[in-house]
Amino acid sequence: MEEKVDVVSVAKEDKKEKWSADLVLDLYSNLLVEIWEIVSALLGESILELIFALAIKKLGDKYPFLALMKVSEEGISLDALKEHCRNMAPIEIHRGFQGLINHLFHLFSALAEGVISRELFPKVLPKVREAERIISQK
Amino acid sequence: MRLIFKNLNVLRSTINAIGMSFEIQEIVESAGTNLPNLFDFSSFGVLWKEGPTLYLYQEESCPPSFTEEVAKNMISVLTILGEESVDVNQLNLQVEKRRLKPKQILMDPQATLKSHLTLPLAAEGEISGCISLNSDQPNAFDAQDLQFFSVIGYQMAATLKHFQRFSSIKNIAIYDTLTNLYNRRYFEERLGVEVKKAFHSGSFLSLVMLDIDHFKKVNDTLGHPVGDQVLCEIGSLLKKSVRKKDTVARYGGEEFILILPDANLDASFMIAERIRRSVEKTSFEGGQAQINLTVSIGISNVPTHRARSKEELVKMADLALYEAKGGGRNRVCVFDSTQRRTE
Repeated sequence: MEEKVDVVSVAKEDKKEKWSADLVLDLYSNLLVEIWEIVSALLGESILELIFALAIKKLGDKYPFLALMKVSEEGISLDALKEHCRNMAPIEIHRGFQGLINHLFHLFSALAEGVISRELFPKVLPKVREAERIISQK
Repeated sequence: MRLIFKNLNVLRSTINAIGMSFEIQEIVESAGTNLPNLFDFSSFGVLWKEGPTLYLYQEESCPPSFTEEVAKNMISVLTILGEESVDVNQLNLQVEKRRLKPKQILMDPQATLKSHLTLPLAAEGEISGCISLNSDQPNAFDAQDLQFFSVIGYQMAATLKHFQRFSSIKNIAIYDTLTNLYNRRYFEERLGVEVKKAFHSGSFLSLVMLDIDHFKKVNDTLGHPVGDQVLCEIGSLLKKSVRKKDTVARYGGEEFILILPDANLDASFMIAERIRRSVEKTSFEGGQAQINLTVSIGISNVPTHRARSKEELVKMADLALYEAKGGGRNRVCVFDSTQRRTE
């Protein structure tokens, strides 16, 4: 009987983890699309594509799943990445995306000091906190 | 709203001016002239990787320490963008100083870089440099400035990319791919210009035609790669033997031709003799063997030989070359007007 309870709780735990992985993925995917929309209006798509590519390359060794993100002048697509990450630990996804966003901010500051960050912070910060909350709930 | 329209108009004319420029300096100049109507800045810079060169368009009273800070910052941004670092001491600096601040306001000699917008010059995924707006005031730029500046950056990057393409097409069109000397097509064009100039001004113009003696033997015995190497070596020897204003071209096969503006017969004979002697003295690399070669040279001259066209001048040099070959090779012959009679 005890064994049965364990199996159920593991299954529940798995489901919960998968649920939060999906949630974190959706959250960051929306966030990155939002970053793209705001910054492309300031810098233009081709420079932004270059910056995203640089950031992904920089973090590629540590978080290889980021390389599955497709970036072009048309925008970003996370379909392949989402598919790949569904079975990953949410904390790992969160760390990868957090690293990516931090590096993007670093590049934005190098180019335009606080100009881009000032536009981004009000929208990005609450979502990053939301992701942190989801992760900590687990 | 009116201000936005005004700014958009200035932006439009800036972009037009950049698009109509023909070289990088002209782009910097056009942008620099228009930018003060859009932004308050102390210095505008274009860091171009090739060279590398930093073009700066900046406030007259800008202290050198500020300029250095701008240069370092632009290099640092380029490095952050993944480009190879540039040594600030090796930077070729081209500064254009203008009055950008109101008359009574001068920059503090101790002024430091307080704010900047620096964007990569990127076209087709390739970074060729960066542009930067710099100020000694904190928070000098806002989001709209960044939007406008990025549009200007786009146009600059596109125009510069266009230049690069144009110059590589131009290179293909005018240079001989083997020797890197001018090709025959360019020679014909250049000769037309120089002959016209000489006819109008009454100045001297010499044409020197040169042919490598027994070159076929080199190709037949040592192979074409060795023959090609010899052609390249003779090409660079010719380039070293002439003045800056002279044109050296590969006329075809193992024939070369030189246009020597303002050179009378004596001067051109001296140059031709110098070339003949240095070829004679040079041991050319021929794989494992050293090759000794000689050249035959023919000279024609305006107005001495009374050529009436560029074609006739070429014909005269060719006849003189024929004479040099016939006379035993390894010699310089000047066109002899009696040759014309035998034509």
